[in-house]
Amino acid sequence: MKMNLSNSPEFVESLTSAFPTLENKFDTLKITVKSSEWVEKVSQLKDEFNLTYFSWLSAIDWENEVSVGDPPKEPVTSHFEIVCCLSDSLEGNLVLISTDIEKEDAKIPSLVKVFAGSNWHEREAYEMFGIEFINHPNLTKMYLPDDYEGNPMLKSFELISREVKPWPGEVDVEGMPDDGAEENS
Amino acid sequence: MDEILNSGNIPYVSEASVSVEIETEDMTLNIGPQHPSTHGVLRLVAKVDGEKISSVEPVLGYMHRGYEKLAEVRTYPQITTLVNRIDWVSGFANEIPFIAATEKLMEIEAPERAKHIRLILTEMARIASHFVFNGAYALEIGALTPIFLAMEDRERILDLIESVTGGRFHPNFNRIGGIKPAAGSGPTTKKNVQDLPSGFYQETRDAMEKVLEAVERMEDLVGGNEVFKMRTKGVGIISKELAEEYGVSGPILRASGVKFDLRTQTDFLPYDKFEYEIPTGENGDCYDRWYVRLVEMRESAKIILQAIDSMPSGPLQTKVPKVIKVPKGQSYVRTENPKGEMGYYIISEGGLGPYRLKIRTPSFSNISILPVLLEGQLLPDLIAIMGSLDFVLGDVDR
Repeated sequence: MKMNLSNSPEFVESLTSAFPTLENKFDTLKITVKSSEWVEKVSQLKDEFNLTYFSWLSAIDWENEVSVGDPPKEPVTSHFEIVCCLSDSLEGNLVLISTDIEKEDAKIPSLVKVFAGSNWHEREAYEMFGIEFINHPNLTKMYLPDDYEGNPMLKSFELISREVKPWPGEVDVEGMPDDGAEENS
Repeated sequence: MDEILNSGNIPYVSEASVSVEIETEDMTLNIGPQHPSTHGVLRLVAKVDGEKISSVEPVLGYMHRGYEKLAEVRTYPQITTLVNRIDWVSGFANEIPFIAATEKLMEIEAPERAKHIRLILTEMARIASHFVFNGAYALEIGALTPIFLAMEDRERILDLIESVTGGRFHPNFNRIGGIKPAAGSGPTTKKNVQDLPSGFYQETRDAMEKVLEAVERMEDLVGGNEVFKMRTKGVGIISKELAEEYGVSGPILRASGVKFDLRTQTDFLPYDKFEYEIPTGENGDCYDRWYVRLVEMRESAKIILQAIDSMPSGPLQTKVPKVIKVPKGQSYVRTENPKGEMGYYIISEGGLGPYRLKIRTPSFSNISILPVLLEGQLLPDLIAIMGSLDFVLGDVDR
């Protein structure tokens, strides 16, 4: 079968000339743009580079103090990173485009006008991180109940099950409860 | 009365009834979350005007297990257990992109033999998943027989997967840098490494012959049925542009005429060594989606037969450190899951587990098209359209 490995050298070259911030590590192309140019740059990728296939959109919570998992190795400035993945449907070129926004003012224009499919992905990011997508047609909760408070994917959000019940591997096996019961009877 | 009738001054009754306008109100119809045709716990809030659907709002979250959050408190080898359970109809195929993304970050590669076994099991998972679709879809349209035939045929595939991995639905068979020693192949010593169970090749060949037969039979039994054709042809048409804009992938995208198969862009599974066709549809309707999946089963069986014949020998695992730490970096790897594009975006900060794991699942994007697709359709077509998207709720909610 003829292989058509993603990200041909010509594509990477033309992309680098338009986006000097392009990173190419571990076979993953990533562009970082300013949040004020977010919609404009995504449209540019769609129209000029033929990346018409909307794959996904999500966010990352960069935080030094974390209540789950390990903190970043080197200190980071606390911010949200929005990542959107676009691809083309013939040659398989794939690009991640990302932008940073401040946590105090977690707002970014919605991509729904450019890619209608970003609707649900933005709703998910809104619910999980509390990021507001401006001009989104229906910014409501996706998975959680309507009266749920908090944004579960934030690094400050504790995983309750881990807090109440420690990891079973760390607990010594306790004696069986019926050990004492036999003596009483 | 007779006088009036005979006088000829009365308008025709039919004329009178046309001029009357009745105010109708849309009715809200709640479909699910426990509805047999939704393949799980999807709830649809539909506004219907008689038989016609004026709008649909899918409600998700009944199967949300928070895997992205759970992945942040687990180590890399532990996460394969989680990702198995995303799309439980094709558990094995879910592990591949995660393992591949991790291996990319660690800059290691699995041995050729391990890659071949991974490929065979991925294709088996695809056949098993498409058997479920083929049976269930005909059932939704109203044919009872195909589901029994499909389940029996799928059982053979699951038995093979079980004989190698020890699990029917959740194999948890991949290891970073290779695969687990196969189940049921005797004790491991340093000289005698566990490998595929004895008789596996012959059993697989027999099973694949049966798959090819089953595809022929299904094409005849379901595809030749006039009722099935009338219910699916020209129903639920998805255009190429609409599909791409919503990130619809897999057989649904190919049924709309886009020859986009991530198997041809995979460098971590040896698909380039085998000959197979990528079926595409012309109209993008329910029938095409059914047909594309049917042909895919045949092609998968062909790939497996070729892979068995060209199986290389060698080790199953490359050397990896005892405690797996992934260097700092970011990697997104996607593969062709039976349902579409499945990808994992790993952000590693050099720890034992990922800092963030974004799971891109095919069904989530595939059903995000439902509100657009169902608008203006008839209520009976809702079942036909929804079934043709072949989604699994675990894959939607994660």
